[in-house]
Amino acid sequence: MSVVDESPLAAAGRALNRPIRRTWTARGGVHRGDARYGLLFLLPFCAALIVFQYVAIGLMIRNSLFSYSFLGGTTKFVGVGNYTTLVHDPLAIQSIEVTVLFALGSVLLQVPLGLALAILLNRPGLSTTALRAIIFSPVVSSVVVVTTMWTFIYAPSGGLANSILAVFGIAPLKFITSSNEALASVIVMTLWEEVGFSMVLFLAGLQAIPRDYEEVAALDGAGALQRFWYVVLPLLRRTTLLVVVTTTVFSFQAFAQAEIMTNGGPNGSTNFMVFNIYEEAFTLGDPGYASALSVVLLLIVLVVSLTQMRAIRSRV
Amino acid sequence: MSSGLVTMTGTARRAPVGDPRSRTRARVGRGIPMAGRSVATVVILVVFLVPYIWILSSSFKTQTQIFANVSPLSVWTFLPQSLNLSNYKTAIFTDHVARALLNSVIIACAQVACTIILATPAAYALTRLRFRGQGLIFTVILLTFMVPGEAIIVPLFQIVSRMGLADSLSGVFLPWVASPFALFLLRQAFLEVPTEFDEAAKLDGAGHLRIMLSIIVPTVRPALVALMLVTFLFSWNAFLWPLIIIQSTSNEVVQVAIAINTAPGELPNWGSVFAGAVLATLPVMLLFACLQRYFVRGVTLTGLK
Repeated sequence: MSVVDESPLAAAGRALNRPIRRTWTARGGVHRGDARYGLLFLLPFCAALIVFQYVAIGLMIRNSLFSYSFLGGTTKFVGVGNYTTLVHDPLAIQSIEVTVLFALGSVLLQVPLGLALAILLNRPGLSTTALRAIIFSPVVSSVVVVTTMWTFIYAPSGGLANSILAVFGIAPLKFITSSNEALASVIVMTLWEEVGFSMVLFLAGLQAIPRDYEEVAALDGAGALQRFWYVVLPLLRRTTLLVVVTTTVFSFQAFAQAEIMTNGGPNGSTNFMVFNIYEEAFTLGDPGYASALSVVLLLIVLVVSLTQMRAIRSRV
Repeated sequence: MSSGLVTMTGTARRAPVGDPRSRTRARVGRGIPMAGRSVATVVILVVFLVPYIWILSSSFKTQTQIFANVSPLSVWTFLPQSLNLSNYKTAIFTDHVARALLNSVIIACAQVACTIILATPAAYALTRLRFRGQGLIFTVILLTFMVPGEAIIVPLFQIVSRMGLADSLSGVFLPWVASPFALFLLRQAFLEVPTEFDEAAKLDGAGHLRIMLSIIVPTVRPALVALMLVTFLFSWNAFLWPLIIIQSTSNEVVQVAIAINTAPGELPNWGSVFAGAVLATLPVMLLFACLQRYFVRGVTLTGLK
């Protein structure tokens, strides 16, 4: 048998002293059996995802067209009835306003503060690492723990906040017992809890900027402020929009602050959308209406996220 | 950090002292002056540590002591006069915080394990295999990334109840084990592993399962650790869903067990609430202190959609 007659596979097998199995074909190549494996590997994940996300969303939309109770009783088809009620419901409108205000306030405070902290702590060293960890600790603590702490800090009498204000001669504030101050108080507390997260994102963004850019500007005679404004800030645009998106999404998810600290009040001034949904479904026992409210929340979050993400994509 | 510059030939050249480049680098590096920096440091320390210190020290005081010490402000506001453990006893025995801690540990560990078991093969299938519909599946999964859990609590409650898992520990973590975030993170990590390893293993006759477990997984260990930590954190800190799905106190998670539910005017026993809060946050704080690097990496990856 000449060398030419022997198939390459057989020759290789002879050379390596073991049989070479043909695991590929002329058409399809190395990945021919992949679909089977792909299905197997993806099945558990996708099955769970479909059940707990897609089926849930579909069920929610369907439920929003009905009026029923968790405790049994009659299920009545009301079509868009829940939605028309929603549009005229003062609580629903209020919850949207409160949540949007909360998101706005949080973004307007967290972005500059997170950036300032990141700039301040953007250097190596044990002390900065320790400071960063300290600022990040409230992010690691749960909302429940933070809200619990601050409920007592904000207590009008016996609370730490007023006693600290007293040192500076400032009269005690009502904080969460006043409908004027409650939302602002919650915004400040949430800022305390979440600014570490924004700081970390900004740090990542700052560290991705090569130092040469700033040096070139300095060589051209730019002062520190000019360098920041014309060099650093534009390069941080993507990160800034990222911080805005994450802060907004977190704001729309707010619940524990209302449930634990303020019970949505006083006078509904902290009636967040998720809190309103929870109350309607589980306290007032109208899951159909709560589903309609949830659909609205989902739509708002999707629209806001998509708009902000499109802004990121178009600018970079 | 050296003060040299990298030239076209790739070598680092140390710039001579009188060179404007080295002076510029020094000027750019100094940034904010020392005095401002010290003030900022003190402010940061005070703002971020004082609430914790107050809660921690007050957890060792009786109600009357807390009120007596808070105003006017003194050093005793932040230091306990004696280590009174009665609040902790109340929290552990009367409020069942110990049981709740155990439940939270079980749920968090189960959630981490299930999340990884589900997401790892899925990420492998999307990066290492090639078949029709891959992109579509990935898009479908990624779409759910934008759906906040809080928006679907009502239908989830019905689905989980119909599965017979209401008021059970499994019902707490099961809806969240298919995590698009986990899939995204692992997919990114897998894409960084060169395919040469796969090829070599295939020549040796290894199947996909073997390749995944013996080659890919050990190589992406940092990403896996980051994922485990972030998932543990989310599970431990979860509040709304456990509040909804658990009814009996023996199945409570720690966040719900310590949550107070009263109007701001009528506050309960301050000390035991503080003790509960300390117990609820201590495990995660310790975890964070030891593995800070991975937490931060996990958080940064959250943002990179």
